[in-house]
Amino acid sequence: MPLPSRFSKNFTGLLHATLAFVLLLSVTTAHAQKDPALYGQGEKVFKGNCAACHKPDKDMTGPALKGAKARWEGKGDIYAWIKNSTAYLGTGNAYANALFTQWAKSPMTANAVTDAEIDAVLHYVDNYAPPAPAQGGPVTTAPEPESSTAWQWLLILGLLFLVVVLSLGGVKHQLGNAVREVEGKQPEADLGFWGNLGRWAGNNKGWASVLGLLLVVFMVLQAWDWAFNIGVYGGDTVEHYKPTQPIKFNHTLHAGKADKNNLQINCVYCHSSAEKSKHAGIPSANVCMNCHQAVNEGRSPEGTAEIQKIYAHTGWDGKAYTGTPDAIEWVKVHNLPDHVAFSHATHVSVGKIECQKCHGPIDEKMDVAEQWAPLTMGWCIQCHNETEVQMAGNGYYDEIHRRLKETPMGNKELREYLEDEKITVKELGGWECAKCHY
Amino acid sequence: MPSTKRYWQELSQLDAAPQAIPGRDNEFNTPLPIDEMLADKGLAASSTGRRDFLKFLGFSLSAATLAACETPVIKSIPYLNKPEDITPGIANWYASTYYDGADYASVLVKTREGRPIHVKGNTRFGINHRPESGKGSVNARINSSVLPLYDSERLRGPVTGGAESTWEAADKAIATKLAETSSKGGRIVVLTNTVISPSTREAINTLKAKYGAAVTAEGVATNGARVEHIQHDTISYSGLTNANLKSFGKRVMPSYDLTKADVIVSFGADFLSNWGSTTENTWQYATRRRPEDATADKPMSRHWQVESRMSLAGANADQRIAMKPSQVPLAVIALHDLVAKKAGASPVGGGAAEAELSKAAEELWAARGKSLVLCGVNDEGTQTLVNSINWMLGNYGSTIDLANHTFFNQGDDAAVQQLVKDMNAGQVGMLLMAGVNPAYSLPNGAEFKTALAKVGLSVSFSSHADETASACTWICPDHNWLESWNDFMPKVGHYALAQPTINPLFNTRQWPQSLLKWSGVEKNYHDHIQDVWRAAMTSRTAEPIDFTSAWNTSLHNGVYNAYTAAPEQLAFVGDVAAAGAGAKKALVGGGAFEVILYTKESIGNGQHAGNPWLQEMPDPLSKATWDNYVCMAPSDLLTLTGVGNFRELYIGQESPAYEVKLTVNGTEMVLPAIPSPGQAAGSVAIALGYGRGANGERVGRAACQRDDDNNPVPVGRNAYPLTRFADGTVRYASAGASVALTGSMYPMALAQTQMTAMDRHSVVKETTFAVWAKHEPKETYNEKESLAVHADVNGDGKVTNKDRVPTTEVDLWAAHPVEQVGHRWGMTIDLNSCNGCGACITACNSENNIPVVGKDEVRRSREMHWMRLDRYYSSDMTHEVGKEQGMGKIERYLEMEVPSDAPKVIFMPVMCQHCNHAPCETVCPVAATTHSNEGLNQMAYNRCIGTRYCANNCPYKVRRFNWFNYVTEKFGDVNPAWDDLGRMVLNPDVTVRSRGVIEKCSLCVQQIQAGKFAAKKAGTPVKDGDIQTACSAGCPTNAITFGDLNDNSSKVKGIADSERSYHMLEEIGVQPNINYLVKVRNTDEAAAHHA
Repeated sequence: MPLPSRFSKNFTGLLHATLAFVLLLSVTTAHAQKDPALYGQGEKVFKGNCAACHKPDKDMTGPALKGAKARWEGKGDIYAWIKNSTAYLGTGNAYANALFTQWAKSPMTANAVTDAEIDAVLHYVDNYAPPAPAQGGPVTTAPEPESSTAWQWLLILGLLFLVVVLSLGGVKHQLGNAVREVEGKQPEADLGFWGNLGRWAGNNKGWASVLGLLLVVFMVLQAWDWAFNIGVYGGDTVEHYKPTQPIKFNHTLHAGKADKNNLQINCVYCHSSAEKSKHAGIPSANVCMNCHQAVNEGRSPEGTAEIQKIYAHTGWDGKAYTGTPDAIEWVKVHNLPDHVAFSHATHVSVGKIECQKCHGPIDEKMDVAEQWAPLTMGWCIQCHNETEVQMAGNGYYDEIHRRLKETPMGNKELREYLEDEKITVKELGGWECAKCHY
Repeated sequence: MPSTKRYWQELSQLDAAPQAIPGRDNEFNTPLPIDEMLADKGLAASSTGRRDFLKFLGFSLSAATLAACETPVIKSIPYLNKPEDITPGIANWYASTYYDGADYASVLVKTREGRPIHVKGNTRFGINHRPESGKGSVNARINSSVLPLYDSERLRGPVTGGAESTWEAADKAIATKLAETSSKGGRIVVLTNTVISPSTREAINTLKAKYGAAVTAEGVATNGARVEHIQHDTISYSGLTNANLKSFGKRVMPSYDLTKADVIVSFGADFLSNWGSTTENTWQYATRRRPEDATADKPMSRHWQVESRMSLAGANADQRIAMKPSQVPLAVIALHDLVAKKAGASPVGGGAAEAELSKAAEELWAARGKSLVLCGVNDEGTQTLVNSINWMLGNYGSTIDLANHTFFNQGDDAAVQQLVKDMNAGQVGMLLMAGVNPAYSLPNGAEFKTALAKVGLSVSFSSHADETASACTWICPDHNWLESWNDFMPKVGHYALAQPTINPLFNTRQWPQSLLKWSGVEKNYHDHIQDVWRAAMTSRTAEPIDFTSAWNTSLHNGVYNAYTAAPEQLAFVGDVAAAGAGAKKALVGGGAFEVILYTKESIGNGQHAGNPWLQEMPDPLSKATWDNYVCMAPSDLLTLTGVGNFRELYIGQESPAYEVKLTVNGTEMVLPAIPSPGQAAGSVAIALGYGRGANGERVGRAACQRDDDNNPVPVGRNAYPLTRFADGTVRYASAGASVALTGSMYPMALAQTQMTAMDRHSVVKETTFAVWAKHEPKETYNEKESLAVHADVNGDGKVTNKDRVPTTEVDLWAAHPVEQVGHRWGMTIDLNSCNGCGACITACNSENNIPVVGKDEVRRSREMHWMRLDRYYSSDMTHEVGKEQGMGKIERYLEMEVPSDAPKVIFMPVMCQHCNHAPCETVCPVAATTHSNEGLNQMAYNRCIGTRYCANNCPYKVRRFNWFNYVTEKFGDVNPAWDDLGRMVLNPDVTVRSRGVIEKCSLCVQQIQAGKFAAKKAGTPVKDGDIQTACSAGCPTNAITFGDLNDNSSKVKGIADSERSYHMLEEIGVQPNINYLVKVRNTDEAAAHHA
């Protein structure tokens, strides 16, 4: 990664931390009089019963609850209303009916809560303080490939060596000329670097040929290696393909571990077809909306703006789908050639391979999805060579196993398979052309 | 002294003919223009030196390379709101129904991501479903019917006066005219093909009720306004249905049950290809053709075919009698009289005496009640006689069911002809046409077109601006069947549903929907169908019905079996004497030649002419693609051309066919002539359904090819003008024809140019039932091949060619571990069940994205079909006969190339044999073709560099080479996948191959992989029969069985180990995974061993 960008990333992190600290201070001072125990209890009850439709400080399906107690003061029984709104509407309370009409006549579900719990909730919402923004989410830093550092050192060493050689050559030349001057001969003309190199090569044909050959071999090998990276956008040696997406969906935030302040949503919740189809599938927008109908705010203003894009595409106005739906054109990150038949389902459902095995630490440090693996055939078959088949308890493999044991070839195959005491994908044909190419 | 002796290197040196010497010394006949080129002054003036040239070359090479490195950004657009039942990457199958006026089948439509891509028979329901096999039979025309959906020449909206219009304008104009015509007491005619949809009938009735005045008891409309529905079958069955009306009082096409027929006699009815309900006939026929299935109660059926041309049914017949078309009705009379004699009924007299017919009569009489006589002659008298024969044989109620008759083929030729007259007389106010193309397919099509101009307003519902539609005032294009809701009633009590599998691609509307709209009924057709069904269900029962669940079940199954009619008391009331008189004048012979017109397995009646899969599908018998032609008896063609022997009539890449001019009743037609063994001498046969778009109408890209100046040239010639209308029916045979050479030659594209198997017993094996029944295959018909080895095997002290060992013991290769190691996919192909229909070829095309290459490429043997159907005629020459005549070996083989005039035919589907010791694998320099441990011969396209060594080393010649990138504009006329619309038919699971690689049958490895995945996921072994290849699933007769040869309980293993099983070219020891089953004919000949 280039230096400036890394700097800016660190800088942003610092900035966020400072901001968060300042915010936290201000929040703490603003609500000094709240009861922490009651607040905690209220938060629990709120999240358990109310959060699906209400927010403390903003309108959602239902109104913002902050100040509800004050609003109901003298207009009716807020406890009865919360416990069973439909029944309370029946009493003909004017304020309740006005609320019902105002909020699109969607009835509030009855809540089995005690008065004490309601008190706690109302205390919580009145004293609600938004949580400090997360520290910019987990900061992603792609690991610097080990080899590149080694290369840099080698290059520096090489350059140093070259400088030493050149200066030594210069010194030798000067000394030689000094000697010649003493001996009364004409000093040798300075032929320059290339001239000297040419003269040296002329004098030391053997060495020159060996060095020349080595140089050519080196360059050919470099070209060869380079050529293998043509069209490769993942792996250890090339920069990962990381296109800008129309919506900056953060995989790590959604799928990362909860203990790191992420949401820990299972990959197949969204990529549901990975278990049954060859395609993992890009989730349709209605899957996003399962959560984002309620979650309309990100952890940062930028995040909220991205969520708004989903609404724009689905036509959601915050309460209903009224706008014109418009397809989201994602940029495909993992592009397999057409002649490769890769099935997610086989690998996920039968092979029980973790998504991260091929897609990298998408749940740890991939705010922006990138192509982690090189997706080259060498990479595929290397895994097929090492990975054991998940045979236990699968009737399909039991049958294959039975046939092997009964083979007229005297179990030769079986013995070969079991030499290293494991049965790999390769041994069951995972290296054969038509397993992936048809 | 040195010798001056000179040795000749060739005879020309002896002759020392002056002209021979320069030829010897000069390799190039024409001098190369080297001097001229060097003398060119411009060359010296050129500023591009050699070095510069090399620089340019190097630059362009690297520039091209670098440009190729850039990876395009690929966008991916998911659903906004994903339907629950669609998962990208997983196919959905929908039960539907195909009906086009000629073919009917319950089908399953495979869709991927909302696109229909494949059609196969309904595996569980429908009249074309074979109960015990779990397959539904469809023919090539039906499984190719997914392609026309993506035809770029379909109309995209209503058209009037050649310009696109809107539905609002169309509705207004037509509804106004309907009202006007009705109020003026005019006549409105709805001309359709046979409508078997109850809801469509109801829609027509709605139109009648709205615009036709009430008809009084006397049949006279109050103000004269009439809405008439006239049905017109492109290929007419009026003779048969009229005969049924006269014989039994029912103008219907009966249901035939071939599973009950021990003896079948067919007079020119090609019931396996194009006559009657073929999708039913094929599977029913096949149930009685495997010797293993024969029991004392249900013996292997005996099939007699009496016909003029070699039809598919004739090719499968046990006994075939060839005769001129004029003789066929006389043969019917003869058979009638023979049977009448036994039954004690009165004969007609005057039939053609034929010795073999009396044998057929004997067999029929012995199998009374279990026999069937069919007739393809569209003549009322002849058909009445056939009814009489079946009546005397007691076949009604057993093999023929009139109570549960079909609703097919209700067309009435006389009514259509009367309509043309009325139109000409200006008596038709409005004409609405659906599913018909009379300007093309009537005997007097030209007259119809003239008459059309005299109709007040004409509307066509055609999907293309075809021959008729382009002359109509309005074209209101119908949906493709895959976009439509529809219902059908193919038989009494049997309902079926068609459901859309894709949203309409264009601005089209289903034609009954249009009728409803014009009648002022604002109801969509789906709701209309539901209303009709609800009414029909309610009318049959007093109980309350649960319509929703009945509807859903019907939709899921595709069919609804409401009831079966009870057997009824029938009485044959036909006038046999009058029928006999009619039959005698059905076709009075005369002239040099008689002409018989037929429909091909691939193109049918012509409505499929725009479908390139079908155009390129070789005809089962002639093996010709992209043409119709005059089939002539080889003896006739020899006489006509004057060439000395049959081999000179060879048609191949550089051997064009003779072009002939045929004159019938003043109509002339120029077509190529091909030698057709089995054609009755003195008769010629021409296929209908060709020559579409002759006046530049756009009826689908494949219907017209482009000439060098890019002008459209129709494929073949339209032979419908050779049909004639006589005595109330359209006739497909004529006499008094003459055939003359035009002096030109015509290039033909034949997929197989060999006629016979030339005594190669290891290719096709056949025997008779009597021989088979001895169950001694090794001694009689299925001898295992052996090889002579250089050792004294038989211990007679000498090493001779009698020292032989089985081929399995001699091998170049180390044994490939396939026995019991994992899976071993294999196939058996029963040559007895295979009737040569070719549905497997088109099923394979559709599944495996096989490119269509066009006539010129097929002519160069570059067709890309992964499977082919080899057809071999028998030859009169055998080694025994030849030796008797004192012929040398070469002479004998040359004679064996000549097919018999009355040949037996054998069909052999050939695809990659997936040899376990494959010769192709060992010669590939880049290991692009290798063997899998599941017995598959795999092909990695991206590894292939196109040396074609493998193709050269393949003994079965099943490897195909991509000479071009077929998915380009160059092949736009023929390859459906060249444009964005056609590409939608491609199977996303199979790679589209590019130029320069070899491809071949993969045994549908994508299906194998999918099947294995399903099993692994379910945690169960692969269930036998769950994995099917396209050909095995598409085979209507169950001839192809696919499965795991390592699964000892599998069906395929059982068949592969059976007595009849053999490997093609067993002597070369390549150990294929495809097994063939010896063909067993139910003939009298002691040994039909020599094909």
